[in-house]
Amino acid sequence: MSYIIVDGISKTFKVTKRNSGLKSALKSFFKREYVLIDAVKNISFEIEKGEIVGYIGPNGAGKSTTIKMLSGILLPTAGNIKVNGMNPFADRRKYVSNIGVVFGQRSQLAWDIPAEDTFDLLKDIYKLSDEKYEKNKSELVNLLDIGEIIKKPVRSLSLGQRMRCEIAASLLHDPKILFLDEPTIGLDAKSKKIVRDFILKINKERKVTVILTTHDMMDIDKLAKRIILIGKGQILYDGSLEKLKTKYGSYKKITINTKENISDIKLKGIISKEKIDNGYSFVIDSNIITISKFINYLSNRYSINDMDIDNEGIDDVILKLYQDYEI
Amino acid sequence: MKAYFNYFKLRVITNLQYRAAALAGISTQFFFGITYIMLYLALYESNTSANVPMDLQSLVTYLWLQQSFFALIYPFLKDQDLLKMIKNGNLAYELIRPQSFYFKFYIKMISERLVAASLRCLPIIIVGLLLPSPYKLGLPASVESFLLFIVSLSLSCLLVSALSMIIHIITLFTIDSRGIISGYSVIAEVFMGAVIPLPFFPNFLIKIGNYLPFRFIGDFPYRVYSGSISVIEGRNLLFGSISWLIIAIIVGYLISKVALKKAVIQGG
Amino acid sequence: MFFESIKMNIKSQLEYKSSFIINSISQFFIFFTFYFMIIALFQKFNNIRGFTVYEVLLCFSIIQFGFAFTETFFRGIDRFEDLIIDGRLDRYLVRPRGILFQTLCSEIDLVKIFRIIQALIIMVIALIKLDITWNILKVMVLIFMMIASILIFFGLFVLTASYCFITVQGLEVKNLLTDGGKNLAQYPISIYRKGVVFVFTFIIPYGFINYYPLLYFLGKTNNILYLFSPFMVLLFLIPCLLSFKIGLKHYNSVGS
Repeated sequence: MSYIIVDGISKTFKVTKRNSGLKSALKSFFKREYVLIDAVKNISFEIEKGEIVGYIGPNGAGKSTTIKMLSGILLPTAGNIKVNGMNPFADRRKYVSNIGVVFGQRSQLAWDIPAEDTFDLLKDIYKLSDEKYEKNKSELVNLLDIGEIIKKPVRSLSLGQRMRCEIAASLLHDPKILFLDEPTIGLDAKSKKIVRDFILKINKERKVTVILTTHDMMDIDKLAKRIILIGKGQILYDGSLEKLKTKYGSYKKITINTKENISDIKLKGIISKEKIDNGYSFVIDSNIITISKFINYLSNRYSINDMDIDNEGIDDVILKLYQDYEI
Repeated sequence: MKAYFNYFKLRVITNLQYRAAALAGISTQFFFGITYIMLYLALYESNTSANVPMDLQSLVTYLWLQQSFFALIYPFLKDQDLLKMIKNGNLAYELIRPQSFYFKFYIKMISERLVAASLRCLPIIIVGLLLPSPYKLGLPASVESFLLFIVSLSLSCLLVSALSMIIHIITLFTIDSRGIISGYSVIAEVFMGAVIPLPFFPNFLIKIGNYLPFRFIGDFPYRVYSGSISVIEGRNLLFGSISWLIIAIIVGYLISKVALKKAVIQGG
Repeated sequence: MFFESIKMNIKSQLEYKSSFIINSISQFFIFFTFYFMIIALFQKFNNIRGFTVYEVLLCFSIIQFGFAFTETFFRGIDRFEDLIIDGRLDRYLVRPRGILFQTLCSEIDLVKIFRIIQALIIMVIALIKLDITWNILKVMVLIFMMIASILIFFGLFVLTASYCFITVQGLEVKNLLTDGGKNLAQYPISIYRKGVVFVFTFIIPYGFINYYPLLYFLGKTNNILYLFSPFMVLLFLIPCLLSFKIGLKHYNSVGS
């Protein structure tokens, strides 16, 4: 049996309907109308112990709602969740001792005092023994390189430093599952790297199952072997990242440096054409039209100074995916 | 001018969304009205021979009006947008806008009070008028008293908003606004008669109160309504009200200029 | 854990030393005004339904004490809407401790300690002026009243927090229950008319903590039952805590 089983969960919210204008504002003052919104519709998936799963989708797709249901904050309107044989709601306290949650945009650290003080409080909250706490803390501090940082007031830390402390705080009680809600949002390149390396490491060494939502496709590329794509509350894709890449991997990006105007090309397999600074940028599907044929076509008609051929980056792949599913 | 009007309209729409707040406000005010009246009834009934500064009917009317227009002249209505702007230094951006910073927020404050009060006052007034004696909200002493009441109450709203503006801007110059705000609120509440009506003050406090703007906000309109302040006296007091208003606007406007300058120098 | 979080809170607030001092001083002096206004009122009147100014002040200070105590040490529950809005509640939900307990631990408002001190000062003044013939039972009833006063506000705060679970709109209702109740109970409840007395004795038990025990304390009755009437507040806590539980369930299914 899988470690995490999500079976047909849905979540419906009731929202007040609002129209613009003074008249409708007055009207709704006396009589409110509500609409039902399905944040998540009949989602099912299973996750094995020790997996890292990237949970992606555009804003408002239902990512956070799913994370909230998985972490026991929100009760699904319909469907079941079983994690390690437990229902997140049946025994909240027992369940949450086994999970760690990082909300990227919200802090759990007390703002005016050093993070270490918050750690001490968490020790009490999770009823950790002195040895376990000290051992775990020093391990995390080393891995995340925050020995000095946790002694300074949190308000004086940079975003990256703070996020590293946040992550340490969420792992002090040695949870088996870690939920990361946009852990790298707003971080600089160095901090991102530290955070990613760290996630890989605890996944490997502690066998922590990681579920992360992100908008940064590099996170996915570096961390997750499997992605679940959600859009408009439904799962659109669930599978390996590699498969996605091969599916869209036939797409090549060709940049042409030319002074001439290239008019419409009447060839099949051209996905997009874009005018850039000193030339054009094309995306072609190499399964339909070979690169050499395409370049031949161009060089016969125009004078080309320089050119560049690229595989599409992960960002473009995902973007295309969004486009294909119209989300 | 049109920009200010649109701004006003926007505030009205925003505030209409807070229906629950209006209902809660009405019940709170009603509750306070009833309990205050009962308190004074008990005092009057226990001391039949006491030398009281107001007859019971005027006092009850005073208390009802106080509750009805609570939202209109509440001494300090926190403007989160403005406070936030002051705190994070975004004030400097206000310099690039075409409307005057001061008047934009001044209008906002007035409109918020007007909307809040207009949603709340009618139910309280109607119920107050229908209640049996001695709980009844009395009618105005005369047509002139009523007109004076309307004029002075409008001035109250303008004045209290102008004072609120000053307090908001002052917080820019201090490390922490809480002390100032609570200090101002308490002094204002006391001297506008919100804790106990001004006529019940000991003499020396009444004298102090005469030198402060607050009596024009919460005491004068309600007493002129019931005739506890005569029409002639009321007309004279209007000048006091207007003078304070002009002073408050000028002071607020000037310190807003200084505040903006400071915000620019600090670089936000 | 409670003390660990208090320690943390105090540390946080002392980070801003000067503003803390200014605030404390202003709190301390400004709120004397309200006591002063009662004294001023009693310059014009000499009693209210048989209670003298110092008897009223004693009643007032006990209620203020309970209110200030709750505001100081249980600020988290007082400002529960903030916990919901800024997402701290979600954080508490993913921790293996009771939500109410975590909420109580979340914040203390050190500045308001001065209001507690102030209430105690007024209480002492009133007690001196009242010329009480002390005995052990009177000490007991005074302590019962003080504890019950804390508990009734605690209950009310929990009740209003439960309301926040459903909506954070219309929180002004909160003032009706807490500020309004506080205002009302500053005077012995018997000064009000029947309906009000009934509601604020048998539904929200102000009467049981600020009137019946006060009668006993002031020697206006010798009925020993009145000594124990503050315990009625415990009955009141049951529905308050229950509604918090129900509210939490609602939050689980609806979210914010």
